[in-house]
Amino acid sequence: MLRASALYLVIVIALVIGVICSSLVVVAYFYRAEYQKKCRYDKLSHNLLSGVNLLLTTPDAAYLQQTKISLFGAEADSVALQIIAWGIYDIGVVKAFTQQDTIYKAFSIANPVDSGKWAALYIADDDRPLSVSGKTRIEGNAFLPKAGIQTAYVDNKAYEGDKRLVLGKKLTSEKKLPSLDAARLDALDHYFSVQGDKPASMDSLTQSFLKPTKILDFKNKPYTLNNLSLKGNILLHSDTTLTIDSTTKLDNILVFAKAIIVKEGFNGKCQLFASDSIAVGKNCRFNYPSCLGIVRSKTAAFSLQAKITVGETSTISGTVFTWEKSPGEIKPIIRLSKKDTVRGQIYSQHGIAFKDGCVVYGSLYTKYFLYQNSFTLYENYLINVELNSRQLSSYYMGSNLLPAISKKKKILQWLEEN
Amino acid sequence: MAGRKLRIATRVKASTILEVVVSMVIIIAVFGVAMMIYANVTRMSLSGQKIKAQAVLSQVMKNMGSAELSSNQESVIGDFTVERSVKPYDGNNNLIEVDLKAYDKNHIPLAELHQLIIPNNDQ
Repeated sequence: MLRASALYLVIVIALVIGVICSSLVVVAYFYRAEYQKKCRYDKLSHNLLSGVNLLLTTPDAAYLQQTKISLFGAEADSVALQIIAWGIYDIGVVKAFTQQDTIYKAFSIANPVDSGKWAALYIADDDRPLSVSGKTRIEGNAFLPKAGIQTAYVDNKAYEGDKRLVLGKKLTSEKKLPSLDAARLDALDHYFSVQGDKPASMDSLTQSFLKPTKILDFKNKPYTLNNLSLKGNILLHSDTTLTIDSTTKLDNILVFAKAIIVKEGFNGKCQLFASDSIAVGKNCRFNYPSCLGIVRSKTAAFSLQAKITVGETSTISGTVFTWEKSPGEIKPIIRLSKKDTVRGQIYSQHGIAFKDGCVVYGSLYTKYFLYQNSFTLYENYLINVELNSRQLSSYYMGSNLLPAISKKKKILQWLEEN
Repeated sequence: MAGRKLRIATRVKASTILEVVVSMVIIIAVFGVAMMIYANVTRMSLSGQKIKAQAVLSQVMKNMGSAELSSNQESVIGDFTVERSVKPYDGNNNLIEVDLKAYDKNHIPLAELHQLIIPNNDQ
């Protein structure tokens, strides 16, 4: 016998309708929530990009402290901006936030080359000519002394290169080299007196650029870094010699020490600054953007010669420079060995010594050249060396520390983002 | 054949009139509430037109070239009228503030987008 039970049927139907309605409400809620999330993300992305562009167009001194601003004077358009001086480059940190949502980007900032002033060679005018011999090749514009450039017969070998001697414009150099940026040098010099934490035993350390710089201070104790990986916002400081073994992996960190020794076979990306010397072993590879620099603001009465020496078949992509505020009797020098390659810029406040097969793809500023064979020391001779500015990547960017760099800022490398 | 009595083999138990009335009231109430919920969800849901307008503005901003940063302009893209205004940001001529607004056919604002752009920046 069938039962009528109309109330029972109605409850079942009501339940079904209730479930459908609930589903509808839930679907609408989540759709709306996700859409609002996407809208917020899009808006934050546009604000973040605006913040990045704002950092790239402001003067160097702005935003050294984290500053929060409202971009357009409207709601939900706040960004926090900060520029951190990071060796010869700058680091930009931009955060865009609204309510609980924050997106950020950290990036390094560099300057493109000034094509009007860019040259393969700038040798200060010391009232004597530059002599070339062997398989020397100079490609790109060259600023030469008034006495000019000439071929020479060295080690029983004549000049074997292009008859034009310089494959580019020959321009006249000044008595003095264009100076380095004083503000940047002051900032670098300041790092030699920082104090930080005593390094603990560790095998790897990564520090975000959104956090304060992690300073590891080795003080007066010579130390060797080995089997260690360091990345990001880390500064190593030593008042004496710091040795970097080939088992050490360095990524974007800064090193400030009295003397730095880099062991044979090292491969990494870092900026090394010493007040006395940097000695790089054979077959080392410094990836772009790296830097080797001598910064000496105080010269003692019996100071050793400030120098950068690079072992054979090493490659440096970035910048190599020497600077001494008041050079003593013995001037700072850069010594490259056989088959070394530098992709970027070399600025030697005084001299630079080459060996056979050295290649500089980029730009070289110096006062004089040195070449020494078994018996003789030649001054202002370029022998079996290639200086080629046209082989440098068109995307290369340098630091405003050096001359021939435009004031325009660009993003060198994205470091962190979420 | 005619006049023959219909014989029903099973007996069906009928609902009372009170049961039917209560059922009807409940079902009407449930349907009423369901309709209200549906209407609310439909009313509160996002306008497809606004979403589309926002996407159009993002695309316009992304494709904006240096030549377009020199003057204000109004253009029609699909169903929308896009109004673009450009001005130096905070007195800085190296940085341009671009404001985009999208309107529908009745000139009702649907979406807007603001961004700072460096002119002649190829990165």
